[in-house]
Amino acid sequence: MNEQRRQVLQMLADGKLAADEAERLIDALDRERPVSTPKGTTRPKYLRVVAVDTSGDSGPSRVNIRIPLQLLRAGVRLASLIPPEALVKINKALERSGTPIDLTELKPQNIGEFIEQLGEVDIDVDDADSRVQVFCE
Amino acid sequence: MIPQLVTYRQRRSDGRWLRLYIPVVPVVLVLSPLLLLGVLAGLVACLVTGVNPVGALRGLGQFVWALPGTRFEIEDGRTAVLVSIR
Repeated sequence: MNEQRRQVLQMLADGKLAADEAERLIDALDRERPVSTPKGTTRPKYLRVVAVDTSGDSGPSRVNIRIPLQLLRAGVRLASLIPPEALVKINKALERSGTPIDLTELKPQNIGEFIEQLGEVDIDVDDADSRVQVFCE
Repeated sequence: MIPQLVTYRQRRSDGRWLRLYIPVVPVVLVLSPLLLLGVLAGLVACLVTGVNPVGALRGLGQFVWALPGTRFEIEDGRTAVLVSIR
């Protein structure tokens, strides 16, 4: 309990304040108190991909990748510089190879928002011989 | 922050490790004449392909600045490769 709140309660106990006045004062004190951020809510900085495969004869295979999220954002900004004519050519090539994705519909701001939300991603795929984890830290 | 040290480690099939520590700033300084040529070639390529050269330079700078912290580890049996940028 902080000092100001204690003083208000003391004045209420002494009869110097009415109950509703004390309540208003305590409400005002609560509003003035800065909102503290809960511990452990720091924004993630890295995207981690960990894959382990133990099915091989020559021992386990392991991939461990850590990429700063800032690097993904910079990559999106770089990709947004691709001229529209090149995107049309890429779309045609993708369609020919059986992957009809329209890259002109991928807006940088949407991808940026997607990266912002990556912090919540936690993928864990477990198999008898292999395991894949994708998460942010 | 600009990358300062690139670490490359490779475990050969005989189990021995090859370790390379590459200090980025001295290497960039030594290679700066070549880099200047590369930047000029990039600017010409931007003008030919219709990409905004200022945006490309800024994007490339942001990309390089974001590199520290990147780490790749690939291990397959007795061989392994690790690349770390600090």
